[in-house]
Amino acid sequence: MNTSPFCDGLSRRSFLRVGAASTLGAQFSLGGLLQAESAVKTATRGDVSFIFVFLRGGLSTIDTFDMKPDAPDTIRGEFKPVRTKVPGIHICDQLPRIGGVMDQFSLIRSFTHQNAGHGHADHYMMTGYHPTAAFNGSLTPNNEHPCMGSVIASKLGARGSIPPYVCLPTLHPSGSSAYLGPNAAPFTIEADPNSPGFQVPDLMPPLSIDAQRLEDRRGLLSKVDRFQCSIEQKANAAARDLGVFSQRAVSLMTSKEAKQAFNLQAEDEKLRDAYGRNTLGQSCLMARRLVESGVRCVTIEHQNWDTHYGQFPTLKDDLLPKLDNAISTLFTDLRQRGMLKKTLVVITGEFGRTPKISKEGGRDHWSRCFTVALGGGGIQGGRVVGQSDKIASDPADSPYGPEDLCATVYSLLGISPHDEMHTPEGRPVMLTNNGRVIKELI
Amino acid sequence: MTYGKFVSRPPVVCRVRFLFPLCLLVATPLGAVDYVRDVLPLMSRFGCNGSACHGKADGQNGFKISIFGADPAADHEAITRQSRGRRIMLTAPEHSLLLRKAAGEVPHAGGSRMKTGSREYTILRDWVAQGAPFATEGRAEIASLTVEPVERVMTFGQKQPLRVKAVLSDGTEQDVTWLAQFQSNDNAIAEVSERGEVTTGSAVGQAAVMARYLGRIAIFHAIVPRPGEAVAANAETFNELDEHVQAKLRKMNLQASAVADDATFLRRVTLDLIGRLPTVNEARAFLQSTAQDKRARLVDALLDKPEFADFWALKWADLLRVDRLVLDHHAAHDYHSWIRTAVAENRPLDVFARDLLTAQGPLEEQPAGYFFKVAKKPGEMAASLSQVFLGVRINCAECHQHPTDRWTQRDYHGMRAFFEQVSYKKAGGAEALIIQGNPQVKHPRTKEVVQPYALGTTMPESAPDGDRRAALAQWMTAPENPWFARNMANRLWAHFMGRGVVEPVDDFRATNPPSNPALLDALTRRLIEQKFDARALIRLITASLTYQLSATPNTTNENDTQNFSRAVFRRLPAESLLDAVCDVTGVPEKFSGVPANTRAVELWDSQQQHYFLKLFGRPSRTTPCVCERSTGASISQALHLMNSPNLQNKLAHAGGRLTQLVSMSDAQIIEELWLVCFSRFPDETERQQAMEHLSTRQDKRRQSIEDLAWSLLNTVEFVFNH
Repeated sequence: MNTSPFCDGLSRRSFLRVGAASTLGAQFSLGGLLQAESAVKTATRGDVSFIFVFLRGGLSTIDTFDMKPDAPDTIRGEFKPVRTKVPGIHICDQLPRIGGVMDQFSLIRSFTHQNAGHGHADHYMMTGYHPTAAFNGSLTPNNEHPCMGSVIASKLGARGSIPPYVCLPTLHPSGSSAYLGPNAAPFTIEADPNSPGFQVPDLMPPLSIDAQRLEDRRGLLSKVDRFQCSIEQKANAAARDLGVFSQRAVSLMTSKEAKQAFNLQAEDEKLRDAYGRNTLGQSCLMARRLVESGVRCVTIEHQNWDTHYGQFPTLKDDLLPKLDNAISTLFTDLRQRGMLKKTLVVITGEFGRTPKISKEGGRDHWSRCFTVALGGGGIQGGRVVGQSDKIASDPADSPYGPEDLCATVYSLLGISPHDEMHTPEGRPVMLTNNGRVIKELI
Repeated sequence: MTYGKFVSRPPVVCRVRFLFPLCLLVATPLGAVDYVRDVLPLMSRFGCNGSACHGKADGQNGFKISIFGADPAADHEAITRQSRGRRIMLTAPEHSLLLRKAAGEVPHAGGSRMKTGSREYTILRDWVAQGAPFATEGRAEIASLTVEPVERVMTFGQKQPLRVKAVLSDGTEQDVTWLAQFQSNDNAIAEVSERGEVTTGSAVGQAAVMARYLGRIAIFHAIVPRPGEAVAANAETFNELDEHVQAKLRKMNLQASAVADDATFLRRVTLDLIGRLPTVNEARAFLQSTAQDKRARLVDALLDKPEFADFWALKWADLLRVDRLVLDHHAAHDYHSWIRTAVAENRPLDVFARDLLTAQGPLEEQPAGYFFKVAKKPGEMAASLSQVFLGVRINCAECHQHPTDRWTQRDYHGMRAFFEQVSYKKAGGAEALIIQGNPQVKHPRTKEVVQPYALGTTMPESAPDGDRRAALAQWMTAPENPWFARNMANRLWAHFMGRGVVEPVDDFRATNPPSNPALLDALTRRLIEQKFDARALIRLITASLTYQLSATPNTTNENDTQNFSRAVFRRLPAESLLDAVCDVTGVPEKFSGVPANTRAVELWDSQQQHYFLKLFGRPSRTTPCVCERSTGASISQALHLMNSPNLQNKLAHAGGRLTQLVSMSDAQIIEELWLVCFSRFPDETERQQAMEHLSTRQDKRRQSIEDLAWSLLNTVEFVFNH
């Protein structure tokens, strides 16, 4: 009789221990093991985690991080540049709190790539690979190549029982693992962290199912699941994936770290307010909690940045105040907890927006030049890398692209950008498509 | 402003480094060199006109040429005249910016594409020296492109150089191997170098390698059979389809799996035909029947059930995009009803397509017309209908030549022109689709007037009178149409086998050939002979041994996915899986805005808020692509099946199946649960294990039954059709 519910031999016994610990709140704790482990290690491979704040639709960086006050009316925009904590760096007056932590992060003002369509540009920014002609952007996931979170998950693996890569609140269309398979796919929480009484759906069994009963069920399942670990499962990729995901689901639901990490209610109310009581703010807070408990990469997929129409009121009254609170609090919170050196934060959209303001009072897509903000995890704060031209139409110098961003992120996380990954057929693919580490930041 | 440091990374096609020996013994083209025949192929091969280099909408660093060289005249102009003619220097060809950039003698974002002094270099230099002519008067045109060999059976790690020949209009042949671009559709099976040398990998299967030259395509098929001892010829076939499958398997040296048992067949065919599990009674009756033809009779019975119409209407509603958010509540409902009615009355597929394509009049009376409301623009109507009914994707050609097919921008706009008359009239609150006027379509680049003409046909002098769509419908559904019957037959086959003979099913093109042409021909022929009766073809497919094979692999076919040598595991679609959970627990799901006891498969609205359905990949119907429906797995799905309160409530429901089971004997309970979940009786081990489970918790009998049912719902066997 096969007593293991899993093909790799995690036994019922270990399941019982972990399950009991988590559901009964007993003393067994992977967190303790993790802390012990991390105390030994310092600044080595896999020490740094990554929070990717993706402002989907395209943040107007000409109105925020790279303002052009001397440009004509048709370009300049309604906001004013103001001084920040770092002498010589000016950003938008609508982001005063972010300006106050300018010393914590830096700006690449000469970021550029060649695709100004949402689906394609998303894929390019998330993976470092421009999609091919066969790309279907309307799919979720649509990955032709794995996104950064999946590469990180694949190269560094999980820290204990918590997933290495989480995408929140939902899956970004280009946020998946492509040929790296289910082990590198993100866990998505499928719920808004800002919703009242937020919890991750189905993370725990219903209250009526206690630990013993859950154990009984799993034990029974291992006996009746005749295709688990069978030659049929081996010959069918879809059935194999389900096996892997079931196993990971069990380790998640029996993980004390996971339960703590996802429990936003445990946070101080004032801190929750400071992040902002909105999806972006609470997602950033959740990201910090997840990184704190061992997640290696959190991608925050935040929408509504595609400001084609009447953008100034939208930015001023809605989007920028949220961004200001969320990002400034994230940097402050990470620093106060001593996590900033170990946590890389990147804030960007898939592209920027046109220098020229449209007839509809908005700006359209512009990938030829925009700004990427990034800090922590070994990035020197308070720097500006690269300049745009007079109207932020093109880089004036030091152009950097998605390949370089990937190379920099991997490098900071201790992964060589020159490393390879492999398709299931064994074909090697470079982690980055000739990306260069942006040395000026480090 | 300098871009000196800018290293751009265009896609792979653009990045190949040029390493070509000088001494190849191939016919040198000509004394006279011209742009169209000599320079343009080089620009394509170097990737200059690719979508990430100078071919993209804004060009690259001020130099813009048309994507994939679609507009040679404009490109010639850009090279020879734009930027004050600085790109070429007639008096000192070697100093032309074109040569210096391409050779990497000056900083070039795209890197060095050729070596100074190479054969390519010589062509470019001679071309400039001769005054950079556009075309040479009287030079023979290309009539066709061929590749040699056409097909080869190969072993692992073997090499095969390809030779690409252009046959010219004067009958002469020219070796253009060195000018052609190559691409394999499966790099694991066969890779191809930029010089056209194919190398097989270590995977069994077949790959199509495309050679492309001046917009023409030729295909080489690499066939890599399983190495090792030859399999025994499998004599058994149930019908004609099996003969074609078996022939292919022999070629690949693969042995088909054994035929599946009755229980497996029952569950599989019921899920495939009506999208739900067999009931306990249906399972018992079928398993106990001793009739010789019970499988065929089962299929007949299933085809007549109303659930057949529900399930296949769901499938069509995905493709034809029944979308409440775009239409509205009533319209979407009516549109879905029209589809369901057509399926229920088994309207022949050609009639179905014609009805849809030519719908006209008040939309309330002609709900098929809602298709045009969803597709919105004439171009999208053309592209959607091509994809759904022909299996041909033409979207790429809206803006440029299709990169892996023959479709040009003119072809796209020729198709679009059929739909330009579609407009709407409102009268008394009701809306009608009307056909209006005689609008002209112009080629967006050349501005030439494009008359409506169907794919692969010649453009007529003028548009047909009346509703142009009628002419298109006539062409599309004619038995001799090159795609319609093939596409429909292929889609039906794919539904039952989990994979089309052409895969993806909606991507027919020369560069994506069928894995078994004879099989696809047979399916197509039968569909036409049966006058596009879908149910008749379904009978043929489900009666084949190939469909009835077991999913248990043998040592020869465990890695085969292309040749239908075994049944594949397919996760139940979201709606079927939810219905299955409801059927097992005996507790129906409640959906908003529909009558009680409506099953998920019957839902016409894919926007209905539902966590389970969304999580398990119900499509949002934003495209006509069958790929929108996801059957992939995720951690969240696994968590949901294990922990969802909704599922636990169904298990614990006082009015559910489990309540009825409590009073039965342990043996009966076990049999019932196995039959309802798996359509089979438990084997002896399973029976004993389940008995042991139930007997140890006599005090908590209800709970133990719930736990047993929970376990069965979480098995691979339950979640998949196999």
